[in-house]
Amino acid sequence: MTALLKLDYLRKSYGERRLLDLGGLAIEAGQAYVVTGGNGAGKSTLLRILAGLEHADIAGMQFQGGSPAGATARQRIVYVHQHPYLFHTSVADNIAYGLKARGIGGAQRQRLVEEAIAWAGVGSLRLVPPGKLSGGEKQRVALARAKVLAPLLYLLDEPTANLDGEGRRQTIELVQKLAHDGAGVVIACHDREIIELPGMRHFHLDGGRLIQV
Amino acid sequence: MSLLDATTDAFRLLFGGNAELWGIVFISLKVALVGLVLAVPPGVVSGYLLAMHRFPGRRALVVLTQSLLAFPTVVVGLVLYMLLSRQGPFGSLALLFTQDAMILGQAILAFPIVVAYTLSAVQGADPRAHETAVSLGAGPLRAALTTLNETRFAVLAGVINGFGRAISEVGCALMIGGNIAGVTRNITTAIALETSKGEFAQGIALGMVLVVLALGVNLIMALLQGEGGMK
Repeated sequence: MTALLKLDYLRKSYGERRLLDLGGLAIEAGQAYVVTGGNGAGKSTLLRILAGLEHADIAGMQFQGGSPAGATARQRIVYVHQHPYLFHTSVADNIAYGLKARGIGGAQRQRLVEEAIAWAGVGSLRLVPPGKLSGGEKQRVALARAKVLAPLLYLLDEPTANLDGEGRRQTIELVQKLAHDGAGVVIACHDREIIELPGMRHFHLDGGRLIQV
Repeated sequence: MSLLDATTDAFRLLFGGNAELWGIVFISLKVALVGLVLAVPPGVVSGYLLAMHRFPGRRALVVLTQSLLAFPTVVVGLVLYMLLSRQGPFGSLALLFTQDAMILGQAILAFPIVVAYTLSAVQGADPRAHETAVSLGAGPLRAALTTLNETRFAVLAGVINGFGRAISEVGCALMIGGNIAGVTRNITTAIALETSKGEFAQGIALGMVLVVLALGVNLIMALLQGEGGMK
């Protein structure tokens, strides 16, 4: 498999404390990874750095052989927060947001949004204000909002954190579908069920370094 | 004339469709609203940039903005008077004692309020709003508009407060407007003039209009804050 995203090293420090010290990283297209680690190990920070939301000392980072800061990379990597933020508009408008940012409009946008709504099973939530959605429902809408963009790389931060019961089960189902969708998926989590999904490569973050489990 | 007589006359002026009185109200609203329209775009942009970016001198600009909130309106009037008077650097524009000068003055007074409210709104916004927009592929402009939209109630509160300051100030309007009847006489300068002449009826009538406007502005603010709280 070809490396979708690779870098020679990545270092992140807060003052004197070095949080991340990775000597090389390669994320393959179509492969799902799970990154575990204790609280404060840097899992979320790593994902945020890969998403371009935080700065770090990085060398040799490439996305599809090009600059990770380029427009192509920015539009093909999607990060989903642990507690997703939904804009104060309808569920459908939330899902359409990234399509609008890409200039996709009219019937095509509507069709893609409908497909994503069906994919995530959030059709019944159309008329519910985002503020009234449960954690699991928000997570599903956020995953649909990411999925509709057909990114090459998903970065999912603790998608099942604080979820239980039906919300957790539905979220895991969607994560599993994404992991088999042909895109690269990196998931920071502790959830045993996600870690043990078929085909998942497991890395553990300890002392700022990634160790394959 | 007793206070009761003056108040009775004031109601007669208000509800009798007194052209002079309602002309003054129109000038006030026009000058304040146009001033606000001029102040809001740069005010919102400045507030957003101050909230989202770190650069040398940022802290000084924030302190300056906060200081301008309480800046005496007569001092703004004095500075503008000196700039716009015939001997001033902008004297050739012949703006002094015109509505344009008053609009400029009220825009300057409303500007720091819009900046301060926007700054506070964006700083207090959930940082995930901007991050989510960026992560979904929004460029800087779209991400900024999204963040502002997410904080729209707090930003609008600044706009309404800016209007409140513009419509109710007297010092700046008097100094650079000149209180010319039918041209630059607005509610506040007319109240000052009529009171000095002992003509309380029109002053009371205009005062009532101003109070109704102030109450209306506060009512809208309360509704917006309620709406924002329910999101």
